[in-house]
Order: sequence, then C-alpha cells, then structure tokens
Amino acid sequence: MGERVRSALLSLDWILILAVGLLLVFSVHVIDAATVNDVPGSPNFFTDRQVLFTIGAVIGGIMLAAFDITRLQGMSWVLLGGLLGALAVVFVLGTTVKGANAWIDVGPFNLQPSEMGKVVMILVLSALAVERMAEITARRTTLFLVAVAAAPAAVVFLQPDLGTALVYGAILTAVLFLAGAPWTHFATAAAVVVGALVLVLGILPASGVHVLQDYQVERLTAFVNGDRDSGKAGYQLDQSKTAIGSGGAVGKGPEEATQTINDFLPEHHTDFIFAVIAEMYGFAGAAGVLLLFGIILWRILRLTARAATQFEQIVAGAIGAMIMFQLFQNVGMNVGIMPITGIPLPFVSYGGSHTVTNVAAIGILLSIHRRRAGL
Amino acid sequence: MITPRPTGGGGPSGNPRRPQRPLTPRTAFRIAVLGIIAMGMIGVLVVRLWFLQVIGGQAYAQRANDNILRTIVTEAPRGVITDRTGKVVLARNSPSTNIVAYPKELVDDRRKLVMGRLADTLGVTRYSLMVKMKRGEDNYPYQPVVLARDVPDGIAIPVAEKIREFPGVELQDSFVREYPNGTLAAHLLGFTGAISDKQYEDYLARGYNGNERVGKDGVESEYEQYLKGVSGQRRVEVDAFGEQVGREFSTRPPVQGKNLRLTIDMPTQRALEAQLEARVRLSGTARGAAGVALNPNTGEILGIASYPTYDPNAFARQRNGLITRYNNDKRTPTLDRAIAAQFPPGSTFKALTATSAMELGILSPTEPIDSPSEIKLYDKVWPNFQKQFHGQITLPTALEVSSDTFFYRVGRRFYEQREGQQSEWAQKFGIGLPTRIDLPGELPGRVPTPQWKVNHFKDLYPTLAVWLPGDEINMTVGQGFVETNPLQMAIAYAAIANGGKILTPVVGREITDQSGRVVRKIASARPARDIGIPARILTPVREGLKLAATGGNGTAWGVFAPVLGAGGPQVAGKTGTAETAPGQPDHAWFVGYAPADNPEIVVAVVVEKGGTGATNAAPAVCHTIAAYEPTHFDGDLCGTPTVEKSN
Repeated sequence: MGERVRSALLSLDWILILAVGLLLVFSVHVIDAATVNDVPGSPNFFTDRQVLFTIGAVIGGIMLAAFDITRLQGMSWVLLGGLLGALAVVFVLGTTVKGANAWIDVGPFNLQPSEMGKVVMILVLSALAVERMAEITARRTTLFLVAVAAAPAAVVFLQPDLGTALVYGAILTAVLFLAGAPWTHFATAAAVVVGALVLVLGILPASGVHVLQDYQVERLTAFVNGDRDSGKAGYQLDQSKTAIGSGGAVGKGPEEATQTINDFLPEHHTDFIFAVIAEMYGFAGAAGVLLLFGIILWRILRLTARAATQFEQIVAGAIGAMIMFQLFQNVGMNVGIMPITGIPLPFVSYGGSHTVTNVAAIGILLSIHRRRAGL
Repeated sequence: MITPRPTGGGGPSGNPRRPQRPLTPRTAFRIAVLGIIAMGMIGVLVVRLWFLQVIGGQAYAQRANDNILRTIVTEAPRGVITDRTGKVVLARNSPSTNIVAYPKELVDDRRKLVMGRLADTLGVTRYSLMVKMKRGEDNYPYQPVVLARDVPDGIAIPVAEKIREFPGVELQDSFVREYPNGTLAAHLLGFTGAISDKQYEDYLARGYNGNERVGKDGVESEYEQYLKGVSGQRRVEVDAFGEQVGREFSTRPPVQGKNLRLTIDMPTQRALEAQLEARVRLSGTARGAAGVALNPNTGEILGIASYPTYDPNAFARQRNGLITRYNNDKRTPTLDRAIAAQFPPGSTFKALTATSAMELGILSPTEPIDSPSEIKLYDKVWPNFQKQFHGQITLPTALEVSSDTFFYRVGRRFYEQREGQQSEWAQKFGIGLPTRIDLPGELPGRVPTPQWKVNHFKDLYPTLAVWLPGDEINMTVGQGFVETNPLQMAIAYAAIANGGKILTPVVGREITDQSGRVVRKIASARPARDIGIPARILTPVREGLKLAATGGNGTAWGVFAPVLGAGGPQVAGKTGTAETAPGQPDHAWFVGYAPADNPEIVVAVVVEKGGTGATNAAPAVCHTIAAYEPTHFDGDLCGTPTVEKSN
C-alpha cells in the first residue's frame, strides 16, 4: 500500500501541479480583492463560489489523473454525440448571459457545456486522428477532422460564443499539427480563414449581409482602432489598458486598485482579471503569472514528447495548445493586441465550467504523465 | 517524408502496457515548433506589458486618477440688488436644481447613450446636449457641464431616482435669479441668462467656465463683475457610476457675489412707472412712454422707466412662451425707451435754444420780438402752433406760451451769424451724445450739423446734402433732424437747474460685501462738466420755465398751478409736442424740475405718439415730483388740462 502510494506520488509531475496550484490559489485571492464591492452586503459572494469551483475542479482533476485516459480512445462517437446533445439542449433551453445563450441552469449554478466540450473535442479529435494515422497526410483525413470539429464549433458559434468556437479551432489545428497533417493543408486553411475574415468583416456587411452580431464585429475590431476607441468594447479596452498601465512596475496593491474596485474595469473577475492582477501587482505580478504559464507549457510540451502512446501524445499537445491559445487570446485582449472575445484566463478567471474544464485537462495530463515513457 | 508508425493499430485494446516512445522526429520537430510559438507568445505579452506598465505607467496612472477624481462645482449665489435705502430687494436668488454631466466620464458611445436618455427626459434634442458637452470638454474637461438649469421637480426627481442609468450625470444645487417685484424697474435691472455663443470666448477669457448665468441687460449686466459669485469646488473620489465612495481631496466653498445698492428711490420709481402706464392708456394713441427722474445736483437717478415693460423673471427662469411673446410684441416691451429710443424733443428744446442764443449774443432777454400767427422766412411760411398770435413778447413769455414764431426768428439769427453754432451748443448740453450712464444699450440720439447733413444725404438724395436755413429754424423748436431721449433732456435741464453742470447720470450707488462693508462707492465718483452759463442768462430761462408751468398763460398751467396754489413746490418746466410723420399723433413731452429755486429733482417724460405735452406728459411729471420725499405733496393736486391751450 505504502509502496503504491509512494510510486503513485512519484509518478506525478509536481512542477506542473505546483504551477497550476499557485495560479488557482492566486486566482481566489485576486477574485476576492477585485469583487469586494460587487455584490452589496456580501463581499465574499464570488470568492466563496470560486473556492467551491476550485475544490470541485481539483477533485475532478484527481479522479481523471487516476483514470486511464486511453480507455476513452474508442468512445469518440459516444463522446461527440454527448457533446452535441448537451449543446443542443443549451441551444433550446439555455440561459442567456451577456448576449450569449451558453448556459444551463443547474440548481444555484449554471453549467456551460461548451467549456467541457473543449476537453471532449481534444479526446475525440485525437482518437479519430490516431484511427486514421495510416492516411494522415491525405486531404480527406484533414477534411474529415475539420468536419467533425465543425459541428460543435458551429453550434457554439451560433450561441453566439465566438471565443469558445475559436478555441475549438485551435484544438483542431493542434491535433492536425501533432498528428502529422502536411504543411500544405495548414497553408490552405490559413488562406481560407483569411478569405472568410475578409468576407465576413468586409465584403458581406458592405453588401448588407451580417454574419456576426454588431457587438461581435465591434469587439473584434476595437483593438485595431486608435488609443481612445469608440463603443463599449473600446471603453472596456481603454479601461483595461488604464488598469494595467497604472499598475506600473510593482502595482498599487489591492486597496488602491481603483480601476478595479471602483468598477471602471468591467468584467474584472472574469475576462479582464489579468488587468486586475496587473493593476494590483504591477509588471512584477503580471510577468510572474506569465512565468507560471511558461512553466506549465514547458511541462506540457515536455510531457508531449514523452507520452506513452500517440493518442496520449496528441491529447497532451492539444491541451498545451488549448491553454496557450486561451492564454494568448485572453491576455492579448487585456493588453490590447488581440480582439475582445469572451475567453477566460485558464486557472485564474472566475467561473465554474472553465475552471473545472482546465483542471480536468491537467488531470488528464497527470494521467498521461503516470504512464509516460522513460527517456 | 517520414511515414508515421501506427501505434496501437487504431484501437485502445492494442496498447502495450509500456510502449516504446511514439515520438517520431517529425512529431518532435512539431512539438519544438509549438514550444517556440509558446515562447514567442509569452515574449510578445511580456514586451507589451513592459511598454504599458514600466514605460507608459505614469501616463496611465494619471488616467486612472482622472477616472476616480470628480470635481464637484457648487455654484455661488449672485449679489443682491436693492433700492437706495438698501431695504427694498429688487433682485435676489432662489434655490433651484441643475442637471450637470462630466465630460471626462462620458466619452464616445457612452456619451451618446447617456445624452440620448437625458434628451428624452428633458424633452430636448440629443444634439444640443452633445454640443454643450463638447464645448465644456474642450475648455474645462474636469468640470461639470450644466445641461439643464432650473429643472422642475417633475424631471429632477425621476433622474435622481434612476441616477445609475445616467452615469456621469449629477443633480447640482444651484440658484435662479428672482425679481420679487415682477415688472418693477425691469429695464433698469435687466436679467440674467446663459452666455451666448457669441460672447462665449469672451467670458472664458475672463475666467468663467461657460456654464454660468450672467447679467444680460440693465445693471445685472453693467455690474456683472461685482454681482457674480465665485463657485466652490470639491474634489472627491467616485466609482464608475459616478457615486461618491468616501475620500474627499480638497474643498473650496462658494462665495456669494457682492451686493449692489442702486440710487433708485422707490416711491419715485413706482409713481413714474404707474404714470407712464396711465398716460399711455389715457392717450388712446400712444405706443409707449419713458421717463427719467434724477437729482440735478448729483446726477443720481431716482427713477427710470420705460413702458410697455416685461417681467425679467421670464428670462431668468427661461419661460420661453413669454419670451417669445415679448419678442414678437410690436410695442417692443424689452426696448428701454428711456435711453435707447430716439424722439424729436419738440418745444422742450426751446430752453436750450434760448440759452444758446443768449450765449452767442444774438438774443437779449429783454428784447421784445414780434410773434405773429405765422411768419415768412426764406420764402417759406412758418406758422405758430394752432396759428396762435402772441404779439411783441420777450424771452420768458416766449417760453411761457411756447411761441414758435419767436424762436423761428431766433433760428434765422443763428443761421445768419454762423451756421452750425446752434448744433455745437446743443451738444454742449449733452444732446446727441451718450450720457455715459451706467447702463448698457444707451443710444446717443442725434444733433444734426452741416457736416452731418452733407454726409448723410450725399449718396441718398444729393440735392438735400446741404445745410439750409430751415434746418437751423426747425432745430430751434426741437424738430427736424434732432433726436434725443428723456435721459438726455433730464441732464440738459439739470444743467439749467444746477447752474450749468452737465452731470454723468448714475444708477449704481455703491457695492457692498456680504458683511455690509462698502467695497466701492459709485455714485459719488462720477465726472461732471461745467459748460459755463452765467446767471444773467440762466435767470430769464428759469423764469420762463416757471411761467410755462404755473404762469397765467403757461402751457402747463392747468397741471402745476393747482399744486403751487395749495402750497406745494414751485415747478419749472417745459411742455413739448413733437411732430412725427404727417397724420401720426405727436410725441408728448414734459421736462421740469422742482422746487424751481432750489431744485431737488428733474423729471423728463415722453409719451410716444401720446398727443400734447401738457395733457399727456406734464401730469406724469407732476405725480412723480409729488412722490419724491424732498418735494412731496399730494399727487391729487396735479391738474388735468382739458382744453389744449398751447404746445
């Protein structure tokens, strides 16, 4: 017994656990400091809930770490069917929050199936890629995987939740990339994406067809405008940059972070929590968070190289790509170099679904780590 | 191309327990690519953070401070305006509510949104609010812009209750100007109003923030620099909804403006106004009337009024319906006829003509001059008023009966000695020149000169562009091109009454601060100019004016003789019935002073198209003199002539 526990503990990636653990604890602290004034009479409203989410997420992560993830490899269609079913239920019965119909109320909480869908998509696409490994360079294999990913991504996009749909796209790209799809396919895909963007943002609106909602276009284009942008998205971005910049080198501390606690920075506990950190703890704090993410990505890519099976390898790499994409998209939006799409910062932003999902992904990584090949 | 090695054969069941590493060189390369991308992304973010926080930190810190700092402006009440005793309040302040907005807290779409909501609530256009915001932002970005003033509770209370729907908007406690006596002394007081677009830059240069209500007319405008208060300021910390969250950084309380005490004597002012209204009504033909009562020794205005009048509260409280009615009224109630209308003075001018003629040595007070019913001068027949015949008379009698033919003959002498001399003397009396009274909007009137006539007609009617004997003759009886107002005539008669001093009239007595200390004396520091009229000239003129008022053949005998007979003061003065256009009623004038031998008050009244001076102007002067304390008598003694003896 003691021997098994010892070897189980030794088989864990403690550096990864430490980095993620630090982020999760720091997250609770920042959410606590940022939301003191948000719910009158109950300054710990968001803190208490986030502690619960984190505990639940960690329990889920431990369970997944103990689980042999390869046992899901043959269940691709079941998982995909389940995801599409859940998304369909949301689409019909869901609750609309901030313009997107992406939540199902479950008691006092509301679940966001599209968040869980990220991990499901990683497992499904990785398994299907491995199944077709013999003809992985064929165009139809790529098209097949694109088609599989497109179904849930389209539903999520229509909710409308552009950010999460983009994460699905990043996952697909990572799976194809690690599975070995030829560079020419990526070049073609890139050309198609650029063409579609021009069509959706430029040509179609000019001819009267609006694929994206107005607020989406505004968010997507706010960051390319000047310093003082127009509109709500522009206001958010302006306040976010002000919060970050005013933090200076070492920050103003939680008490003096007026952009946050006086409510100038909207969504300060969710999408713009990075700006809160930057305001409270300055460049030191913000760069420290990026350093922790750097460590996490280093550990994931290291694990990717060491995975026991190709399935696990692709899964690990795709998780890394997912976290990387969300990190860059979220922080990039906070600092004004990426469009505003409602993507939370993994392990840090307030929210149950995405915390559970991202910690679950870490659980999967730990499961893969246990079974890794030696060098 | 490296072919991937199929591991596990596509199914989980085929997985070996401890497989060989599935890592192919291609996969290893691609993982390395991912690693490079990750490092690149994090690197870009760190560099961006460096620029925002370490390099741009100061600027953003300033912006963050701007966000939480709100400068709350507390408007100061204006100074109070009172009569000469300081007891009767003519203008004061009453509490009111403004709606203000902070331009820095409302940018771009947010501003459009909030201004749109506010425009709906206030019933104005969003554009008008946006313009105000833009202008405020350009000048004082951190100060509130006043979007609506004197807002009724019906609007203020709903806005206060839903203030979260109006971020960056605030209710401001303020004051609105109040004139408790309504129309009383309206033209004199003027009113307050918003700074006009045209004057905006000017006021800004004088330290205003552009939101203030400023004096727009009357003494409100003239003494603006004293009456205006200094706004207070508080710098407080607010949250994104504009709600104050505790800290207060600096406080400067508002300071009320200085008080203005006028020279106005309330009984005189009230009597004058009542009389103007009564004369206009009684005449049946008059369009308006104006009058001035002043102290002939100091130039202090005791009463000054114009009829029809208006309620300055309409302007101060922006009663647009009433303002429009005033502006569209053909009788021009907002025109101050006492200083800004221009009428021919008619026979009231004869006292000045007589003085000038004697000064120039062309008339002796004892010289009898034939005054028939008409005379022929320069091939033109000049009739007397109502073809009256006066025979051989001297100057005092000529004034008493107001003989025209007497003065026509004098006019010929003016012309023959040197043309234009009469004009120079009229100007010495202040006719045709601004009196420099401390009120805005004064018009100078006109004294025609040979040079003026040439310039005036050379383009329009070149044949008329020459000074003719008729111009000189017409002017002797206050007709022709000469135009003046009651204020100028009162000042000219004051010079006759006081021995030749042309005074600068004044309505402001002194400025006091809130503790009652006199900050500036105004009335005692006005310049006067002595035009040098010796007693030998003044005496017959004064004698003539006494006779005109109370002599047996005096034109105003019916009005003033009963006063004298009942022991009241001796009044000296002159009627005037100034011809206007053919077929139109005449302007009725009377200018007089009392007591004749020790003058305390001069009163000049003109009733525009009001008929004869004796009937329609002299009673107004009589009642006004009666109301003034030093010359007080029972106003009922003032007679009303029923038969028109003369002009």
